[in-house]
Amino acid sequence: MATATDQVVGYGLVAFSLTLFAYYTIWIIILPFIESDHIIHKYFLPREYSVIIPVAAGLLLLLFVGVFIAIITWKNRTLTKKSA
Amino acid sequence: MYRFDTMTKLLQWLFMLALLGGTWATLTLNLLGLDPLPPPVYQVLWLLPTYLLVTFGCYSLGTVGYRLATFNDCEEAARELHAQIREARDDLAQRGMKF
Repeated sequence: MATATDQVVGYGLVAFSLTLFAYYTIWIIILPFIESDHIIHKYFLPREYSVIIPVAAGLLLLLFVGVFIAIITWKNRTLTKKSA
Repeated sequence: MYRFDTMTKLLQWLFMLALLGGTWATLTLNLLGLDPLPPPVYQVLWLLPTYLLVTFGCYSLGTVGYRLATFNDCEEAARELHAQIREARDDLAQRGMKF
């Protein structure tokens, strides 16, 4: 059964992804159709960051996954060497 | 000739990706030499692949979160499995196996 922590984390993830989706949709799809002197533009970074940030986040994620896999493999190898 | 519904899934995906990517590149780079698109439409079009990727990421994250929050014990299946284990033990015990 999902514990209280699991539920908080899970619904937190859902809320985060929905917020991110809504914000990014407004940023990418709607903002170009609004005049550039409208006040809403104050709440969004310049447009080039809408590519730079996802790319940076993706690279960070890949790096994290790579380091994680490397550590797991390395630990496993030392363990099997000890037992052999 | 290939038919779309008999292709492997990989080929179908590659085909659709190539089609969409080709359309996107044609419109973005204006390979047909049409009248330029209105600037807002062009700005949206240019970022569309990134947008779709981010949308897919959001969907994946949301799915993981939802499944984590509604993760369930399978009590029915556990009972069934226990019953089957008991049945197997009884059967083996009858044939002279000692536990």
